[in-house]
Amino acid sequence: MTQIDLTAPLSGVTVLDMTTALGEYAGRLLADLGADVLRFDVEGAADPYRRAFMNAGKQMRASQPSGTELAELLARAHVLLTSEGPAALRSRGLHPDDVTRRHNTLVHVAISPFGLTGPYADRPASDLTLMAAGGLLALGGEPDRQPVRAWGEQTALIAGVHATTAALIALHVLETESRGQVIDLSVQEAVAHSLENAAQYLDLEGVVRRRAGAGPREAGTGLFRCADGWIYLVGGLGGKPLAWSAIAEWLADGGVTNATDLNADRWQQSDWRRTAQACNRFRDLFEAFAASRSKAELFASGQKRGISIAPVATPGDLLRDPQLVARDYFRVVDVEGQQVTLPGSPYRFRTSDVRPRTGKSLI
Amino acid sequence: MSAQLPMTGIRVADFSWVGAGPFLTKPLADHGADVVKVESRTRVDPIRSMAPFRDGLKGADRSGYFANRNSSKRSICLDLKHPRGRELALRLIEVSDVVVNNFSPGTMDRLGLGYDASRAVRPDVIYLEMPMLGTEGPHRDCRGYGLTIAAAGGLLGLTGYEDAPPVGTGTNYPDHVPNPLHGAIAVLAALRKRRMTGQGEYIELAQLESTINAIGPAIVAAAAGVTVGRVGNHDNVAAPHGVYPCVGEDRWCAIAVFGDEQWAAARLVLGIADLPEFDSADGRRSSRALLDELIAEATRGWDAALLADELTARGVAASAVLTADDLLHSDAQLAARGHWVTLEHPVMGPSIYDGIPYRLSRNPGHLRSPAPLLGADTREVCTELLGVPEDNYDALVSEGAVG
Repeated sequence: MTQIDLTAPLSGVTVLDMTTALGEYAGRLLADLGADVLRFDVEGAADPYRRAFMNAGKQMRASQPSGTELAELLARAHVLLTSEGPAALRSRGLHPDDVTRRHNTLVHVAISPFGLTGPYADRPASDLTLMAAGGLLALGGEPDRQPVRAWGEQTALIAGVHATTAALIALHVLETESRGQVIDLSVQEAVAHSLENAAQYLDLEGVVRRRAGAGPREAGTGLFRCADGWIYLVGGLGGKPLAWSAIAEWLADGGVTNATDLNADRWQQSDWRRTAQACNRFRDLFEAFAASRSKAELFASGQKRGISIAPVATPGDLLRDPQLVARDYFRVVDVEGQQVTLPGSPYRFRTSDVRPRTGKSLI
Repeated sequence: MSAQLPMTGIRVADFSWVGAGPFLTKPLADHGADVVKVESRTRVDPIRSMAPFRDGLKGADRSGYFANRNSSKRSICLDLKHPRGRELALRLIEVSDVVVNNFSPGTMDRLGLGYDASRAVRPDVIYLEMPMLGTEGPHRDCRGYGLTIAAAGGLLGLTGYEDAPPVGTGTNYPDHVPNPLHGAIAVLAALRKRRMTGQGEYIELAQLESTINAIGPAIVAAAAGVTVGRVGNHDNVAAPHGVYPCVGEDRWCAIAVFGDEQWAAARLVLGIADLPEFDSADGRRSSRALLDELIAEATRGWDAALLADELTARGVAASAVLTADDLLHSDAQLAARGHWVTLEHPVMGPSIYDGIPYRLSRNPGHLRSPAPLLGADTREVCTELLGVPEDNYDALVSEGAVG
């Protein structure tokens, strides 16, 4: 029988991570996959928890390399990660014009707020302003209040997943054709790629989508308050409702008087379920039932009846979640001398070593 | 003549449907992989009947939600429950490098198309599944949708105003960002290992586990005993930091001030008095509410785009809150970058697709073709790729195994 090779998928790949906070998730993903990631701290996350999450598995260097040291590092590396606009890159000798010309077997993943070209290429930007410029901010929030941003500087995640995809496509070219290249990634464009169907709604139906609160305005679907927080229920999204009689029975069995109201024919019609009257009626019935029950209880008993229900989990809930605990999801690793608990990698490889790692310490 | 597309020669047997899976195989397809979508006429991909539709008219080949996620792919219709349909699916796997599905746990095994059956015909196959909560574990059989994954994964609960219930991103964010793209990364990494070792791989991407990484820092904090909650548009460092009303119906400008010099510049643009308590970041952070009020008062007289121009010219991060209309029709940067792509679709006519947010300098990907019509390529794939003789093909159609 042949031996199974359990090495990490990116074993032997060397990455120079010279990103700001905007670009540091890409190097983290590459480190989990087994690349040697050397992180030069340009202007990374200030928040210590964010810093630990983003830099796990990287070999951290405080000072910026320059001159011959930089040239040597670039000559050895397969991938260079940066995340600033063209003028800032030029000032540090990291613009593709400077780097790629000298190192033609380097993949330079140039993440930048607006891309390396165009009238806004050197505009100052932040997570909030890029969410605005890419169109996702306009979709978040209550209609009668200001738009609200997603928690956790999602532009870093959005940039990171696209950048890593692009890096691995270019690595494929590098390893099959011995040719490096520059990847010009605009975070504004990456955000604009995350709008669900908003661009197509305008193009095809002439409708400009706007923020609409926590979900569709349809009875049976959305957020409902319970004893220890919130649950998310999907009881219908247009067309026929989902598991409707199961929901009605669940409430009736739970002692909600009038739950049998939900058996009336009109609840089968999405036109009715979308009225304010129907939404309010359903909410009153459901929240009367849920007020004395916990997220975990509602999730377990609803799922048992075939109802699509999920807890609105807090980070603390997740750390104790039976599914995640049973699957040994959370990992403790050493990041910059601190023991930290991290979520597991986004994927599990059956025969490769993929996981959050402890970064190699300085030699 | 540009260089060959990077993923030329890689074939993907794509059994995925609805939201996340198709956005996983799209970057591979746009960069040259032959992605063959395996569809069904009896259980049509639900996203083909999700709005928006060309001219608002429903139809399996009219959905922009579907089309945008399926550029550069081929579509074949097989009945996987028909023995001949299943046989063709296995033959497709045999000639593919990658197999992707996002069915509920056990579905592909029951169809005889699971990892073991696939490996038997294609020993070095890279096989990716994306169950909601995992193929194993006490909750493996729970039901969910993109919306419930955002809730269960923690992002929904953390996103919203400080003084109100959670509100989330307004989209099925896990379906558009973390889950498909983490999946694409996994497949590409496994392809790299195969190049080095000749070995295939089985990858499980549990959508819950992938999505939790979107709030990774909150997990680190919670495990260290620190409570994390909704903060609206506030920031730990920057102040002022928010979204402020401007001239016009529902027009807003996002402004983020990180340092003292930026504050001095923003204050001058907005005509706000120089108050000593706002000279330091600490001072500004401790009077966020007052600061937000002063700024909102000042921004009401401004056009949002003009204000962003003025602020960014002075080093302050700012942007109008752009709607799809702004993005498609007036944003100078996206226009200069040629972000949006119009493709001529046989049923939908010229229609707008999201561009690829990055360009490779040597062999850039591009949207090679519009989304395929349902089953558009069944005959071609069966007869040319899977070796079905023309005569037999017609028999398979009349048996209902294909088409």
